[in-house]
Amino acid sequence: MAEVILRHIAKAYDKGTNVIKDVNIDIKDREFVVLVGPSGCGKSTLLRMIAGLEEITDGDLLLDGQRINDLPPKDRDIAMVFQNYALYPHMTVYDNMAFGLKLRNMPKDEIRKRVMQAAKILDIENLIDRKPKDMSGGQRQRVAIGRAIVRNPKVFLFDEPLSNLDAKLRGQTRIELQKLHRELLTTMIYVTHDQIEAMTLGDRIVVLRSGDVMQFDTPLKLYNQPANLFVAGFIGTPPMNFLAGQIVRKDSTLCFLSKQKTLTLPLTDTGHEQSLKTYEGEEVIMGLRAEDISVSLIETNQTLYVTTIQVVEHMGSEVLAYFTIEEQRFVAKLSGDTLLEFGQSVYVGWNLGKAHFFDAKTELAIR
Amino acid sequence: MKKWMPYLLVSPYLLHFSVFVAFPVVFSVVLTFHSWNIISPMKYVGLANYRHLIHDRLFWQAVWNTVRFLIVHIPLQILVALTLAELLNRTVRGASFFRAAFFLPVIVSGVVVTILWQQLLSYNSGILNRLLTTVGMARVAWLDDPAVAMYSIAVMATWKNVGLYIILFLVGLQSVPVQLYEAADLEGATNWQKFRYITLPMINPTIFTVVVLSTIGGFSLFVEPYIMTEGGPMNTTLSAVMYIYRQAFQYYHMGYSATLGFCFALIILFVVIIQRRYVEQEV
Repeated sequence: MAEVILRHIAKAYDKGTNVIKDVNIDIKDREFVVLVGPSGCGKSTLLRMIAGLEEITDGDLLLDGQRINDLPPKDRDIAMVFQNYALYPHMTVYDNMAFGLKLRNMPKDEIRKRVMQAAKILDIENLIDRKPKDMSGGQRQRVAIGRAIVRNPKVFLFDEPLSNLDAKLRGQTRIELQKLHRELLTTMIYVTHDQIEAMTLGDRIVVLRSGDVMQFDTPLKLYNQPANLFVAGFIGTPPMNFLAGQIVRKDSTLCFLSKQKTLTLPLTDTGHEQSLKTYEGEEVIMGLRAEDISVSLIETNQTLYVTTIQVVEHMGSEVLAYFTIEEQRFVAKLSGDTLLEFGQSVYVGWNLGKAHFFDAKTELAIR
Repeated sequence: MKKWMPYLLVSPYLLHFSVFVAFPVVFSVVLTFHSWNIISPMKYVGLANYRHLIHDRLFWQAVWNTVRFLIVHIPLQILVALTLAELLNRTVRGASFFRAAFFLPVIVSGVVVTILWQQLLSYNSGILNRLLTTVGMARVAWLDDPAVAMYSIAVMATWKNVGLYIILFLVGLQSVPVQLYEAADLEGATNWQKFRYITLPMINPTIFTVVVLSTIGGFSLFVEPYIMTEGGPMNTTLSAVMYIYRQAFQYYHMGYSATLGFCFALIILFVVIIQRRYVEQEV
């Protein structure tokens, strides 16, 4: 059992800068929770506060119901994997992994058993006598994870553990981390700035921005029902397209009025009807996923705009097409066999039923 | 560029090197096989100087004195410098003041420092003895007791040089990644365990540098005993370099002095090689 609860957690430095503001998160036992956000959003600070490496200015941090704000790191029964691995360079892999256990005066046989067991799980048995400098980044990464595993802690913390690995290795390690989580059945809290890592690893994801929780939800919910403009723009590659406008009523139907167009809203699809009604006459922002935009060389019944292709990115399985609509940069994700070229004139349209709407002032989603 | 241009450019250094480094080294090796008092012509004596050296009890006492000095000086130097560096490495108030204060003796002339300490350690009027008598303890003959004098000098030399080694240790300490300590915190290490298992091994190269530098510095011990004790009492503070100096410039035994210097250099080389071996095993 390891349930981590953050209640009104805040952190301020001496000069009065609030890096973490009133964070409330309930992490269930055995859950894999990812903290994600842009640089400087406070995700690493929050993780370090859970570890006990940073002081908590305000609020309660509960581990299995016990308040651990004032417990030193060693008494929290939490292990952490650092971004740069933080392996002891003068020790062998074995000694690195055994260090914490030796400090706890565990019998030698038991230490050996645990280290070898962890080495087996991580497939690093053959490296056991090497020193960190004689290993690759990926191998060091495993040792760092091994050092956390041997202690059998209640909670694992990961601070951007994959950011120093190359893309291929990052993909592999992501899969192995998922496997590891299933095998160890332990609560894991993972920090990353990479939303793909967040989406693939997390049972639930905390999206942070400037020390505030923007949304705490499952990956699919974050993608399909972003709570606000920030989450909508942050989660998903390529990012969501936005168009500012107004909700107006025209001939008793609700319409989205942008600078150039008046688009009738098919409210029956969206379920936004009730809430959007209340926004009549108000400024809103419409959001569209790249895959919900259609681009064709001939006019169709979906066509809303005529524009010119500015950039085409062929990704193999898909094509990303960039163009401008109402002075906004738009990107559409099309199937891989789409043949488009720079400078081509295209007809762009979308299904308004898939559109997201946000309050232009509060930036909150309108549902 | 002309072909001779590079040679011209390096010639000032080469000239300096040949006259003041290469020539004296070669000449002193030649001297070891001669008897020479500067005035009369050199006389070839073969290995006589070396034979004399082997039986020269005063030389071996001087070497032993120097070793005694090092045995106290080096550990003390490391202990004090490392402790102060550890303290200064924390965010203490006025750290930069202390850093400057500890470094000051390093840049003050050795002669000045030595004279100051002579006053400080004086049997009758020294502050230290006055303090002792104030608290009801007996005076100590810091510089006149054969059993104490060399150690007094070792303490003084430590005080004089500690600032330099504090800086070296500070650089070493600051090069240890903070994450290692954080990782150790999470693993349950106490402050002492962190120091023992992380700091010490991580700054091992710095410790080696300090050991070598203070060994070489210690072997060249001269100013302190020359001014404070003139090698006494009973030759207990006669350092090897002082003895070499005496042979050359008081007795004008240039050939013998060169022999002493040459052998002493071999001893230093031998010691440093041993130290290096030891450290290479450790790292």
